[in-house]
Amino acid sequence: MALATKNELSATRRLILRDTLTFLSLTLITVVLFAITLFLFRSFASRREELAESWSARGRAAMIVGDPQEAVVALRTALRYAPGERSYELLLAQALGDAGHTEESYNYFLGLWETQPGDGFINLRLARLAAERKETQTAINYYRASIYGTWEGDGAVRRRDVRLELSRYLIECHEPSSARTELLIAGGNAPDDTNLALTLGPLLEQADAPRDALNNYEKVLAHEPDNITALEDAGRLQYGFGRFEEAHRILEQAAREHVLSPELTAMIEDSAKILALAPSKKLPPAERVSRILRGRDLAKKRFESCNTQIAAASGMASQLQSLGERWMSKEANADRVALLYDTNEQEAIIKLTYDTEIEASQICGTPTGDDATLLLLATSKAVEP
Amino acid sequence: MIEMEETASTAGKRSGRVRVAADKMIARLALAREEHIFLLLSIFIGIISGLLVVSFRMAIEWLSVLLLGSSPNPHQPRLIFVPALAGLAIAALTRFVFPNVRGSGINQTKAALYVHNGYISFRTVIGKFLLSALAIGSGHSLGPEDPSLQIGAGVASQISRRFGLSKEKLRIFAPIGAAAGLAAAFNAPISAILFVIEEVIGQWSAAVLGSIVLAAVSSVVVARSFWGAEPMFRIPVVTLRDSRELLAYAVLGVAGGFASLLFAKSLSYLRPKLRNQPAWSQMLQPALAGLLVGGIGYFGLTQVMGAGYEAIDQAMHSQFAWRMLLILALFKIIATTLSFSSGTPGGMFAPTLFIGAMLGAAVGTFEKIYFPHLTGSIGSYALVGMGVLFAAFLRAPLTSVFMVLEVSGNYSIVLPVILANTIAYVISRVLQPVPIFEEFTHQDGLYLPSMEEAREESSLHLEDAIQPVAVPVLQGSKTISDARRSLAQYEDGKAAAAVLVQCNDGLWYAAQKGELETLFSERTSEVTSDLPTVAPVAATELSLAERLGPERTPVLFPDLPLSSALPHFQRWPILPVTNRAMRGSLEGVVTLQDVLNRYQQQRDRSH
Repeated sequence: MALATKNELSATRRLILRDTLTFLSLTLITVVLFAITLFLFRSFASRREELAESWSARGRAAMIVGDPQEAVVALRTALRYAPGERSYELLLAQALGDAGHTEESYNYFLGLWETQPGDGFINLRLARLAAERKETQTAINYYRASIYGTWEGDGAVRRRDVRLELSRYLIECHEPSSARTELLIAGGNAPDDTNLALTLGPLLEQADAPRDALNNYEKVLAHEPDNITALEDAGRLQYGFGRFEEAHRILEQAAREHVLSPELTAMIEDSAKILALAPSKKLPPAERVSRILRGRDLAKKRFESCNTQIAAASGMASQLQSLGERWMSKEANADRVALLYDTNEQEAIIKLTYDTEIEASQICGTPTGDDATLLLLATSKAVEP
Repeated sequence: MIEMEETASTAGKRSGRVRVAADKMIARLALAREEHIFLLLSIFIGIISGLLVVSFRMAIEWLSVLLLGSSPNPHQPRLIFVPALAGLAIAALTRFVFPNVRGSGINQTKAALYVHNGYISFRTVIGKFLLSALAIGSGHSLGPEDPSLQIGAGVASQISRRFGLSKEKLRIFAPIGAAAGLAAAFNAPISAILFVIEEVIGQWSAAVLGSIVLAAVSSVVVARSFWGAEPMFRIPVVTLRDSRELLAYAVLGVAGGFASLLFAKSLSYLRPKLRNQPAWSQMLQPALAGLLVGGIGYFGLTQVMGAGYEAIDQAMHSQFAWRMLLILALFKIIATTLSFSSGTPGGMFAPTLFIGAMLGAAVGTFEKIYFPHLTGSIGSYALVGMGVLFAAFLRAPLTSVFMVLEVSGNYSIVLPVILANTIAYVISRVLQPVPIFEEFTHQDGLYLPSMEEAREESSLHLEDAIQPVAVPVLQGSKTISDARRSLAQYEDGKAAAAVLVQCNDGLWYAAQKGELETLFSERTSEVTSDLPTVAPVAATELSLAERLGPERTPVLFPDLPLSSALPHFQRWPILPVTNRAMRGSLEGVVTLQDVLNRYQQQRDRSH
């Protein structure tokens, strides 16, 4: 019995020893195998990293030289060795878009957006791609998300650029009021930036907000009185508003700085003629009356010539009948002395003059010479507040 | 001298007895320790398999870069000649050095489990590692998962044999290693466990489940420590906002079912054709397959070469038009059929996922174009497509659902996955009754069990053989004399071969006629001497249940398997079947003849 117990103990010991040794060997093998795998894996990982960097550099270079197709291949390869690398993915998505694979690029960016919906750059690219796909509202939403999204580096500048891009897009989409709002916000965020003001000006004009545009040019001129662009654009806008004196002054200043375009040169000449003909209230009474009378004479001649022209064509005379009645009235034939002391009479004659030029131009065609200047004055007065 | 001889002989006998006793002891201890070291060994198998699978994947990528260049693109001549030359090398090595490495590795592992007692040679493991890596790295259209599974199984086989374990234990180590290998390769432990149960073991086995889980988890931990915890595919956000979209997923299920059918038919046609060719021709087959697959890559579809994970990722992120996706799916079927049928070692797992992803993304892209109001992303369709092909082609429906959930990490996709997978699975089962892996084993002259086979079997229950009670029923509480009178009242009582006795404890006793007759005729003295605890009374005064003793018929319920009744017919002539809700309430009876008749009926029907 004792012998059996002894043997059992011995057998147990042998078994335990055997198992222990086997497990120790197994542990040792595992450790060695782990070390070898780790060594190989590090070498493998570093090689993959090298390949990824090299291919991404090729992709970037291809994008810089304007070969997006080559960039797509290179960046796809880079991503093969560094899957999920954000910067490569962004570049690839961008390259796909540049290579004309709009749908693929859009989907790629959408995939990236799902992981980072607040990323300004991704939203911007999605906005552009949506715009290409004619999905107006989606594009606007992505533009707005981009403006309020996160940006690396100078976020304020990037957001402003996106806002300007959105404004341009809104103008293209014939939504001028929304565009104006965006542009005013952009201008309000950087009140002292003259370059921005110069950018905003033309955009505001396109957004049917010429007065806001003029404000921007004036802001520039306040800081840089000799800024040619601001002078030209402000002069043109002043001319458009019928503020010929102001327009003439600004354009003259611009002309002193550099050679103006024929259009602006014509504006200077026209504004000079208008200034010479316009019965401004700032003029001494006698001079004003003289100009009113000169204008009246010009308008009357225009009326008569137009009336004669119309009479030749039967049944058309009636169109100028009411105007003819006004010309036959007593007020229309008032003399210099009567006008000098009656400002109401002055205004009535000015109105008759302008109405005649406008109606005659509508019936008998565009006038030339002084009549044209008078018509310009008449129409400008009509738009001036 | 004689005394000395006698002493020596006695000592020899004693030492022999001691040795025998020690051996018995060791055997007894071995049995006990097997249970103890089983789980510990599973962890080691998981770790080592994980390390080998990490190395295997590295080897594939290294070879790919070395042989095909870091950026394989169409019109590079090496795309044609590299797979062809690699095919030649593979054919030579397979023929002369590693003869058992052909194919994917799943059937080989299954054969190891059921035919070779779980044994996979070290040479096979090495050969599978090297040749599969060479094949996939050189561009053959095959995947690394199935070889990883066999490598894991091989590791398990080799390690477990160092511990002198029993044959039973050694056999089940192969699937444990297989699960570890697959889990590390696919970075998805649950799918690996389910796949091994569905495809390798072919049945649910509680005995190995714990070890399989441990091994799979260990290997995934190892693999993730190298590759990171990210899932294998970058899955886009998956949402199902509109239930009408399920129709689109149903269409995907139908498309997947037919695609898997095409894939399976191509393989089941070409593989035996090529295997029946002369030996010299078989030496050239991998090279020819490599040439053709390389040609597909050379002329524009490099995506079909190798495992194709990058292309799957691109499809998930909508980088292909739907026509291109369909072309890729079709050419992947062609390329994989060629590579696999030629005997090149490599797996079917990745190609299946590739085809599914392309098909799914094609359906998703088509839907996006023509039904833009539906919100499902193309990525989600690609993901479901992978599950669909997995369910229909590999015939692993449960694994396919869990694989998609595990890979996506998104539970909201479960409904589309179940719907599409079920449709595809049903189509595949109806049109291709024999699963492809099973067909491969049949082509190789093997007939191994499968879960699909088990699913086909309709198991019989006791309720299928149950008969109304036609034998006399006696109350156990009655005295012998009363019982005799009761029995006499039965018209056919004398003809009945057995009698059921309901005992006081709600259990039953099925007495043979002769047994009762003996009881009825016994004398008092004989009775009381047999029952020392009972006071000496007349035999006729004892209750029938007391006279029958403590033994009772087994408690059987109608829902139990029919086979559960079989062991009891040696002792009992008839078996009462009782209600689960009311103890002792009789539902009917079964006899051995009833059971046999039922089995016969089923056999006749199946033929």
